Amino acid sequence: MVGIVLVSHSSELARGLADLVSQVAGTEVRVEAAGGGPGGSLGTNGDLVRDAIGRADRGQGVVVLADLGSAILTVRHVLEGSANGQVRLVDAPLVEGAVAAAVMSAAGQSLEDVARAAEEARGASKF
Amino acid sequence: MTLPDGVALHARPAGAFVKTALRFESSLTVASNGKTANAKSILAVLALGAVGGTVLRLSAEGDDAAAALDALAACVSNLSE
Repeated sequence: MVGIVLVSHSSELARGLADLVSQVAGTEVRVEAAGGGPGGSLGTNGDLVRDAIGRADRGQGVVVLADLGSAILTVRHVLEGSANGQVRLVDAPLVEGAVAAAVMSAAGQSLEDVARAAEEARGASKF
Repeated sequence: MTLPDGVALHARPAGAFVKTALRFESSLTVASNGKTANAKSILAVLALGAVGGTVLRLSAEGDDAAAALDALAACVSNLSE
């Protein structure tokens, strides 16, 4: 299955979203939280992101979602230093994108399809 | 068919429903309360806001349509909170 990494400025937000996503998609999908900066401050931390990608990777690729601005920069910086082309940062709303991606992954879909589902979450109505 | 009492098509039940739908090639829709959703899209299914006791209308088009409808109907009747 494709792994999912959630990058947020807040460790609580990333962890809470990982819980929510696992409840919807099931616990068989690896959903890893990488939230917060050094010492638990609000911010992002490349080492946490790198470790989370490593834990999420089960050989079928990893989709990374990030919350805002500098979280994207942190992820890009981590990916630049990696030769793994199977890790995809997607431009998607964090909550909806994560839920959509994780359900697709749980159903055994490809990295391409999981990433597309996350990106298509942008156009989904909530009600 | 009807959602079991007390079971809303949200969170875990919605995930189970969509994961079942994704096993099939046919295009699958679920309608309730005048809204129609792609049964393979978790966000669309969640947006239906279907609560327990709601009537769901399932439809399928494709080579494995009959099997897909059977599987989705079984999934819905087995859903629990």
